[in-house]
Amino acid sequence: MEDQDHEGKKILVIQTHGVATPTRTYSPLFYAMAAAAMEMEVMVWFTMDGTNQLKKGEAEKVQLDKSSNVTLKTMLEMAMDSEVELRVCQQSLELWDMKPEDLIDGVEILGATSIIDLSLSYDHVMYF
Amino acid sequence: MAHENIKGCIVLKELYYNVEHNTWVKVIDDNTVVIGMTDIAQNLAGPILHAKTKAVGTMRRLGKPIATVESGKYVGPVKSPVAGEITKTNENLANDAQLINRSPYKDGWVVEMKSDNLAEEMKVLVTGDEAVAAYKEKIENDNIEACKHLEGSDTYD
Repeated sequence: MEDQDHEGKKILVIQTHGVATPTRTYSPLFYAMAAAAMEMEVMVWFTMDGTNQLKKGEAEKVQLDKSSNVTLKTMLEMAMDSEVELRVCQQSLELWDMKPEDLIDGVEILGATSIIDLSLSYDHVMYF
Repeated sequence: MAHENIKGCIVLKELYYNVEHNTWVKVIDDNTVVIGMTDIAQNLAGPILHAKTKAVGTMRRLGKPIATVESGKYVGPVKSPVAGEITKTNENLANDAQLINRSPYKDGWVVEMKSDNLAEEMKVLVTGDEAVAAYKEKIENDNIEACKHLEGSDTYD
């Protein structure tokens, strides 16, 4: 029953890499989807360079799989379809000169104190 | 075995399907079923690298995962088409997850489940020509590409 014990646990994924480094964007979202498939509660927190992939029109420019049409936008949408919550750091938005209306749909903004609270309340934090 | 080939994707008419979740159900007796992924599901996942079933004894509600599967480009749950208890798992999947790709309706079965209320559970599933029609619509609406099959896959003609 080992697997079942993990159901309902909470995983926080912190993503600090963005559109300038496509190969560092795929795995965090894939792991998040894996955890969601295992019935865990998953949040991806985008901060630092990770923030820019959430700007409307940016993620679709990042082709992740040349043999198909999978872009970073595809992965973000698949993650949201898998009920992975996407959140972005308020202060990082300002760093990238982004406004709330620049964000793709489905992303919520939280401040720095929230990330501290979240990281303490989640069962595990994965940092990329 | 009566079947329909829709863009290379096989639908066996004798099985029951949850079309939304791409799972099939085979009735063994009044309260026992075998469950697996459809040919369309294996095609969407691509060559499966790992398949992890939930443990025997796990109780599942409708739509909760009975397994997770992952390929190089996909990871997701196999959602239970009925509520009940997992009574058997396909242990061969641990060493050869691509059994699901090669034999989705036979050797690649995923779990066996017992349900106390099977007759009621089955009412939401579709079978026969109704299942074929539902899959034709799904393949059209979701723009699903023609099914690909790995070498050594089961044949149906």
